Amino acid sequence: MRHPSDGTLRRLVDEPDGVADTDHDHIAGCPACQTTLAGVRHDARTAATALTSHVEEPDIDAGWHRLSATIAAGTPAGQPVSRQPVSRGGAGWRTALRRPAVAITAAVALLSGATAAAATDWLQIFRTEQIAPVTISQADLLKLPDLSGYGDVKLTEPARIRAVPDAMAAQETAGLAVPQVAQLPGGVTGQPQYQAGDRVSAEFTFSAAKAARAAADAGHTLPPMPAGLDGSRFRLTAGPGVAAVWNSGQGVPALIVGRAVAPAAYSDGVPFATARDYLLSLSGLPQDVAAQLRGFTGDGRTMPVHVLAEELSSAPADVGGIPATVLTSKDQVLAAVVWVRDGVVTVVAGSLTADEVLTVARGLR
Amino acid sequence: MHPAVRADLEQVFRSAYPRVVAVAARVLGSRDEAEDVAQEVFLTFGRSSVPAAEAAGWLTVAAAHTALNHLRSGRRRTTREEAAGVVDPVAPDVADTVVAREERRRVRAALARLPRRQAVALVLRHSGLSYAEVAAALELSPGSVGTTVRRAESALREELNRHASPQ
Repeated sequence: MRHPSDGTLRRLVDEPDGVADTDHDHIAGCPACQTTLAGVRHDARTAATALTSHVEEPDIDAGWHRLSATIAAGTPAGQPVSRQPVSRGGAGWRTALRRPAVAITAAVALLSGATAAAATDWLQIFRTEQIAPVTISQADLLKLPDLSGYGDVKLTEPARIRAVPDAMAAQETAGLAVPQVAQLPGGVTGQPQYQAGDRVSAEFTFSAAKAARAAADAGHTLPPMPAGLDGSRFRLTAGPGVAAVWNSGQGVPALIVGRAVAPAAYSDGVPFATARDYLLSLSGLPQDVAAQLRGFTGDGRTMPVHVLAEELSSAPADVGGIPATVLTSKDQVLAAVVWVRDGVVTVVAGSLTADEVLTVARGLR
Repeated sequence: MHPAVRADLEQVFRSAYPRVVAVAARVLGSRDEAEDVAQEVFLTFGRSSVPAAEAAGWLTVAAAHTALNHLRSGRRRTTREEAAGVVDPVAPDVADTVVAREERRRVRAALARLPRRQAVALVLRHSGLSYAEVAAALELSPGSVGTTVRRAESALREELNRHASPQ
């Protein structure tokens, strides 16, 4: 039997009931595991000692008075307060839409675009032709209710992403060719796994009643709603798409090269700029962030990609003459480059440096 | 209470404030700084729509993140202890105080260098959260919490050892 992982040994130290009986039995009779376990226990004790704080109980009344005074004075929140890291996993479109980070992007995409005449049919109001980063703090994201706070979100075409045997099968499924990597970066080896996904689409119906509740929850009164917005419907689509994934065996893929039909938004015909501005006024975002979003979504073709100020930094680049955005995690673990060409978005990402993802991106065939 | 904050703020504050300060103090080692962090956390909480049932978990995670932000931004207020003089008046021995302060400085520096997810997992686990609670807070599988905490503790020990040698 293979040895249990270090993580299992660590759990044995403080939650032995969470460890499987087979692992208990193995560890009890395995000298190598006993040695490792002793090291694990030692490090756990060292950490416990290092993180012991000898501070006295705080004065709750004094703390409350201070907070009350700050609130009464209308002092801004100061430094950003982080929420849980945004999931990087494929938790699904519906879950994603509930996340504030994604919701604001989706909501702005939904409600951005050029003016449009009343139309009885679905009218395209937004087509991603380029991507621009918006730096936003987690504290600001936290102020946003999710999209379902403004109306009803219905998944009309669910995300169906599946593994396929090879690049040809991916192309047949999605109708898009998987970009070919000219040369793999150092440390990335082997054959990729191919994935293909169908088009995803969701429909959002703006609800005055829900928006009012969201505003009330945030302690605001809903400003007067533009005529015709209540009950207006919007449709957001993305995909189909394909991807090649090189796994590293460490949770984070070593390299992902993906391509998909870029997001687009449609409406059944409301004054979009007004709707977008209304949504932004409800969002609780600081004026400068709202103005930034309003500014570059005015053309109906620039998709904002939020960049968490605490976790990511962004930089402009170009890939084959097309403007691209490079995102790098501040812990230097991940980098990605994303660009749009002819309505198709391509991303190269992985546990690589910014230079490495750019080299892969520029060498794609 | 100001209309822009949630109605249950005082109730939540009174029940959770000591815990939020305690979590931040594990990172910062200073009550004054930990209380500053707690104020920021509750201010943001007060303006949020975090469901009441999730408040305790949210506050704990926010306290860990915000305290770590304080370390990483290099922000360090002049604490009352420091402003009052070099020596803590209640400490029995000046040398002990100096050693303790140096130790705390090394722990802060070591925590600041850990990857954020590891640092948060470490602080939450040593603040008494179960593996399931840490998993939920960090969107990890419960199985990988042990691995993350183990890596954090190993990295912390290495950081502390690396900087333990005299100048």
